Amino acid sequence: MTERIVVERATKRYGEMTVFQTLDLSVREGETVCILGPSGCGKTTLLRSMHGLIPLDDGRIVIDGAAVTSPRRNVAMVFQHFGLMPWKRVSENIAYGITLAGLPSAVCAERVRKYTEMVGLTGFERSYPYQLSGGMQQRVGLARALAMEPDVLLMDEPFGALDAQTREILQDELLHIHTLVPHTMVFITHSIEEAIALGDRVVVMSSRPARVREILAVGIPRPRTVASVIAHPRFIELRDRCWRLLREKAA
Amino acid sequence: MTVREAQATSAAATVMHRRRRIPASDWIVRIASIAVVLGAWQLAGPMLNPLILRPPSAIFASFFELIGTGELQEALWQSLREFVLGLAIALVLGILIGILSGRSRLFYNATDPLIGALYSVPSVALVPLIAVLFRSFDDPPRITAVALFAIFPILINTQQGVRNVDRDLLEVARAFNSSERRLWTDVIVPSATPFVLAGVRLAIGRALIGMIIAEFFIGLVGLGYLIIKYENVFRIDAMFVPVILVSALGVLMMGFVQWIEGRVAPWLRREH
Repeated sequence: MTERIVVERATKRYGEMTVFQTLDLSVREGETVCILGPSGCGKTTLLRSMHGLIPLDDGRIVIDGAAVTSPRRNVAMVFQHFGLMPWKRVSENIAYGITLAGLPSAVCAERVRKYTEMVGLTGFERSYPYQLSGGMQQRVGLARALAMEPDVLLMDEPFGALDAQTREILQDELLHIHTLVPHTMVFITHSIEEAIALGDRVVVMSSRPARVREILAVGIPRPRTVASVIAHPRFIELRDRCWRLLREKAA
Repeated sequence: MTVREAQATSAAATVMHRRRRIPASDWIVRIASIAVVLGAWQLAGPMLNPLILRPPSAIFASFFELIGTGELQEALWQSLREFVLGLAIALVLGILIGILSGRSRLFYNATDPLIGALYSVPSVALVPLIAVLFRSFDDPPRITAVALFAIFPILINTQQGVRNVDRDLLEVARAFNSSERRLWTDVIVPSATPFVLAGVRLAIGRALIGMIIAEFFIGLVGLGYLIIKYENVFRIDAMFVPVILVSALGVLMMGFVQWIEGRVAPWLRREH
C-alpha cells in the first residue's frame, strides 16, 4: 500500500513550550486515520502543519513525495468552527474553494449541485448559514471541501461543536460518503467512539509534548454505520484500550 | 432524522424572516409616544412659558409661512449641499484611512496617535480656524467643517471593522489558497461593511451638527442662519422650523443607512 502522507520527525514549539517533538506518522492511500488525544495536545496543530498553515520547527511532512510548505490543491480541510462566510449563501460557500481554484463556471455549478446533493442540502442553496442549524452548517463546510475533489481530506474535529445526535447522523453520512468517494482522510477527534467508528487506524496521542502512544488497527469491516461499529465485538476492546492509553500519565 | 432536522431549520428560518419587520404594535407605541409628547407640549407649553415654548400648532403655521416666502427651500438647498459634499469627503477619506490603518501596522502606528488626538479635540473649536485657513466665508470651509465632524466615526469604525476580521475566516481563506484580491472581496470587505455603515450612521448626526455650527461661524447661511435670525427676533415658532427639519433629516438619513445595511448585510438582521 502506498503512503500518501508521511510525517517525519516533526517538531513544533511555541517559545518554551513544545507542542510535539520528533513525531513520525504515515497515512496510506485511501485509509482513514483518526488522531485521538486529550484537548490541547497539539493534534490540531499537527493537522494544520499537514496543510502547510503552520510551519514546523524541525522535521517535515511529505504529501505525494513533496514536502508541504503551503496548502496543496489536492488537499482540502474541514474546520471545527465551520468557517463559513456569513455573507455568502450556501451555494456560494460551497463554491468558494473551487472558484478560487479557477475552475470554469460550468464545472463549478455542476460540482456545487453534485455535492450539495451528496451532503443532503438540496433546497437550501439560497439560504444563509445563520438560517441553518449547526449540523447543516457543517454539511456546507464538508461540501465545500468535497467540491475540491481532493485526494486528501483533513478534518479538524469537524463534529466537535455539534450535539450528540447530530454528530452521529453526520458520522454515518461521512461513512456513507466515504463509500462513494474514497478519500484519504486524517480525522482529528477527542471522542474515542468517533475515532473507532470512522477510522481504519486510530493514532492515540499523549498530552503535551504530544507523542504517538500507540497506533491501533480498527479492523471492523466496511461498509459501517456508527450502530454497526458499536455492536461489533471488537469495539469494546478497542474502546477500553483507548481509554487506558489516554488515562495513563505521559511517561 | 435528517429530514426532520431540515424541516425544523426551515421553520426556524421562516420565523426569523417574519421577525425582521417591526410589528404593528411597535409602530402604534412609537406613534402614540410622539402624539402624547406633542399633545402635552401643545396644551402645557403656553401655560409654562408662552414665549419660549411655542405650541406645535404655531410651529406648523410658521413652517408654511417660511415655505411661502421661499426662505426655507433656499436655506435647505444651501445646507444640504454642504452636508452631502462634506459627508462624501468624510466617507472617502474615512474609509481610505480606515482601511490603510486597519491593514498596515506601520500606517496604524503612524496615524493612530494623531487621529486619537484630533478626535478628542472638540471639533467646534476648530471651525472658526477653518474659515481663517481658507480665507473665505464660502462653501469650501463649511464643507470642510462638515467633513471634520463626520470623518471620525467612519474612520474609526472602518479601522475596527478591518482589524476585527474573524481569524477563523482568514485561516479558511489561506487553507483554500485565496489570492489577496479575493481575500478582500470574499472576507475583509463584507465583514467590515456593517462596521462602516454603523460609523456612517453615527457620522450623519455629527455631520448635521457640524453643518449648523459651520453656518453659525462661517458666513451665516442656510438653516443655521434661519435659526439665528428667528432666535434674535424671538420668533421661536419660526426658529423651531429649521431645528425640526434638521432633526427630521437625521432620522430620515439614518433610517436610509439602516435600510442599506439590511440590503447589503442580510445576515445581521437576525440580531434585530
